[in-house]
Amino acid sequence: MPFSAYLDSMRGECRQLVEELGKGFDYVSVLGTDVKEAVYRADKKSSAAQDGEGECGFVIKMHDGRAFYEYSCDDISGDKKELAAKITAAVATDAALGERRITTGAVADEPMKQDFVRENDFADYSDEQLLGVCRQISSELSAKSEKIMNSIAMIRTYTVSKLFVTKNRELSQYYGWSNAFALIIYVDGRPAQARLIKGSGSLADVIEQVRSGLDGIVDLATHLVKATPIEPGVYDVITDSSITGLIAHEAFGHGVEMDQFVKDRAMAKHCVGQYVASPITNMHDGAAATLSVASYFFDDDGVLAHDTQIIKDGILVAGLSDLASATQLGTAPTGNGRRDNFRRKAYSRMTNTFFVPGNDKLEDMIASVKHGYMLFQTNNGMEDPKNWQIQCTAEYGIEIVDGKLTDHYVSPVVMSGSVPDLLKSISMISDSFEVDGSGFCGKGYKEWVRVSDGGPNLKVRVKLG
Amino acid sequence: MKNLKELLDGTENISGYRISEKNTVSYELFFVHKDLETIRSTDATSTSVTVYVEHDGKTGDSTFKVYRSMTDDDIRAKIAQAHDRALLVSNEPYVLPEGGVLEEKLPTDLDKYEPAQLGSMIADAVYAADDVPGGSINALEVFIYRDTLRVVNSRGIDKKQTTNRVMIEAIPTFTDDKQSVELYEDYRFTRFDAGKLTAEIAGKMKEVRDRAVAVKPEGEMKVNVALRPFEIGGLMREFAYDLNYASVYSHANMHKIGDDLQQGDGDKITLTMKAVIEGSERSAYFDEDGMELTDTAIIKDGVVCGNFGSSRYGQYLKVGKPSGALACMKLEAGGMTDEEMNAEPYLECVSMSGLQLDLYNDYIGGEIRLAYYHDGDKVVPMTGISMSAKLSEVLATVRMSEKTDVIGGYEGPVRLLMRGVSVL
Repeated sequence: MPFSAYLDSMRGECRQLVEELGKGFDYVSVLGTDVKEAVYRADKKSSAAQDGEGECGFVIKMHDGRAFYEYSCDDISGDKKELAAKITAAVATDAALGERRITTGAVADEPMKQDFVRENDFADYSDEQLLGVCRQISSELSAKSEKIMNSIAMIRTYTVSKLFVTKNRELSQYYGWSNAFALIIYVDGRPAQARLIKGSGSLADVIEQVRSGLDGIVDLATHLVKATPIEPGVYDVITDSSITGLIAHEAFGHGVEMDQFVKDRAMAKHCVGQYVASPITNMHDGAAATLSVASYFFDDDGVLAHDTQIIKDGILVAGLSDLASATQLGTAPTGNGRRDNFRRKAYSRMTNTFFVPGNDKLEDMIASVKHGYMLFQTNNGMEDPKNWQIQCTAEYGIEIVDGKLTDHYVSPVVMSGSVPDLLKSISMISDSFEVDGSGFCGKGYKEWVRVSDGGPNLKVRVKLG
Repeated sequence: MKNLKELLDGTENISGYRISEKNTVSYELFFVHKDLETIRSTDATSTSVTVYVEHDGKTGDSTFKVYRSMTDDDIRAKIAQAHDRALLVSNEPYVLPEGGVLEEKLPTDLDKYEPAQLGSMIADAVYAADDVPGGSINALEVFIYRDTLRVVNSRGIDKKQTTNRVMIEAIPTFTDDKQSVELYEDYRFTRFDAGKLTAEIAGKMKEVRDRAVAVKPEGEMKVNVALRPFEIGGLMREFAYDLNYASVYSHANMHKIGDDLQQGDGDKITLTMKAVIEGSERSAYFDEDGMELTDTAIIKDGVVCGNFGSSRYGQYLKVGKPSGALACMKLEAGGMTDEEMNAEPYLECVSMSGLQLDLYNDYIGGEIRLAYYHDGDKVVPMTGISMSAKLSEVLATVRMSEKTDVIGGYEGPVRLLMRGVSVL
């Protein structure tokens, strides 16, 4: 059985702790986590095969009709009365602060008992095989040009076991994800880095995806060393699926995380039911919306995964919530309560976020641009849900002149401006669809969780710098 | 730790090991507006073990995690797996740092208070600044941490350090009948000064009010741009990353010793990586290998003069005494007085989405959420703009303030002035 044997052995301990703490709190949940990551890496000079970031511990969440309380620890075995007293003392406040606690409605605890498993092929590969694949990719890349100073290949496998227990609920889940990554440092007059990152639930698939893209990495590097800065201005832009995802995630997704609604930190709170994008635009988020890195069965509040339509025909229809924000707003949680790890608080977080495909052909979209750019590969982005300003950086762009892609690369390219202006400028949407499951997302500058985003190609008009 | 050490000492076929154990005890408060939504506490330990195996003239290593849930048999199995993995890894030989016993606490006064008491005092200090008409603090998160890091290795190192630190995330907001705007700010400190904290938040409340009346310039500007310490620290960290032993070893570095980064008449950059900076939560007496840290200059008078980093990569580069992985940096003050800075119009970046830096593409830029345009007579708040420039060109003529401050792991000038930056 792939689910953590340790967590399986702790079911009774969890139930006992829920019962003991339930004497003093209206609602108690225990989330146990056992997350394992293995990392294999090779470059021209060095290699590694080891555990990556992992976690194994518990977070206990309580609600007393007013505020929420959480306690994170490594172990919950032993005397439950003693542990419950320790937890209660650890989350106590002084009297003055206690008076400032919020007051909310009761937390729902619908009965459910289920075990979820999504199998993977990770056990089919030995450490030796996976490190061998990395060495082979690194060697193949290095052999392609003497201008390649270093070539790095990496494979990561990641498995998640989580156990969630309340008075009425007992859920377990097991799933996994893998990423493969290749990068070269190429020097021809000046240095450039070119990379390829792929993600899949199947190691066989992800290795094949990277292997088949090695020529493309070298070709990209030969162009990036000649890339020029872009002349700042407002342009017609075609996005590749990763930049589409960047727009979905950074420009809009953070703004519909409903813990921001509670804090009056999101303009979107006032725009539900209104046009926020062009009428051809549809956008979804959800752990159950597609299969990618953030496809879990239940969230860290024990809420089952959803497929939430955020934008329907250009109109904002729904946001994304965790248990605490939904309780305060009086809405049903959407399965978006996620933690960086068991030591951290659950917030409303995106999962797999994407625009829905349209009917246009990519070649027609490019042909429709007199002068503009096609943008590729997410570098980073920063949200501004309150004021709806965006900053999204693409690794590179290719100039489009008279409807044709040229050989002129620009790098890096920063998109900025107003979110509604950008989304309302969407004039064409391709019939293709790809979601990139290799990313991490922070909230502000912390709370990192694995996310995917993507969709079709978009034609937009936006400020580039 | 004792049991783990015994299990490792009893394993015959490994050449060495390193145990890193970090216990974090926290007390955390999460406010929605002025109301307390969530109270959290943690007491959790993260333990990682690296096993080293010398084979075929090479050094292999592999790291694994140890959890409270593990039995001795579980740990033995992980040691065996790490040994097998290390045999697959053939890196250039290196030796672990040797000897040294230490138990120290980083400078702080936070341990004078009970966590719940300190949390309450911090909240009071923050909300004392929430008195601007139209202004509010829409969210506040307070994190009070005590980290205890212990590193033990097979060559006699046994070092422990305790860091007490506070991180606050506050969201100053201003709302009028036309709009509502906010700024994101975080504060980190190792000593509690209620007055200073209230004053800093009050400053942000003024700035967010200014964001509400900020204007977008009519067209593109070519203007001198002043960065604040958070962004200056980000710029210097980019150079530090480039000059790390590991970057040099992997050929990922842009610059090498002797490179002149500033061929112009600006203030010259002198940057030193440091172990301890008073007030910085990144201060440390040793790194993750237990290596003693040695302050190291990496840029002097605008010229690259050194590299720094871990013992392993230092050995690869044949450095006699590697510096250790230093996390703090000190940028020497410049010569620019307030009068000099105000002698010409300039744009002062108050809040950015994030400073974008790319040494490979010689680029510096980013979206500016709030800036002040100082024209000599008046100060005009601006928003909705982004800047971009060639990094080498702005470094050539950069000016830095005489005044300095500490933010995060950065100590240095409070203003860095870049000339002739495009702002659109």
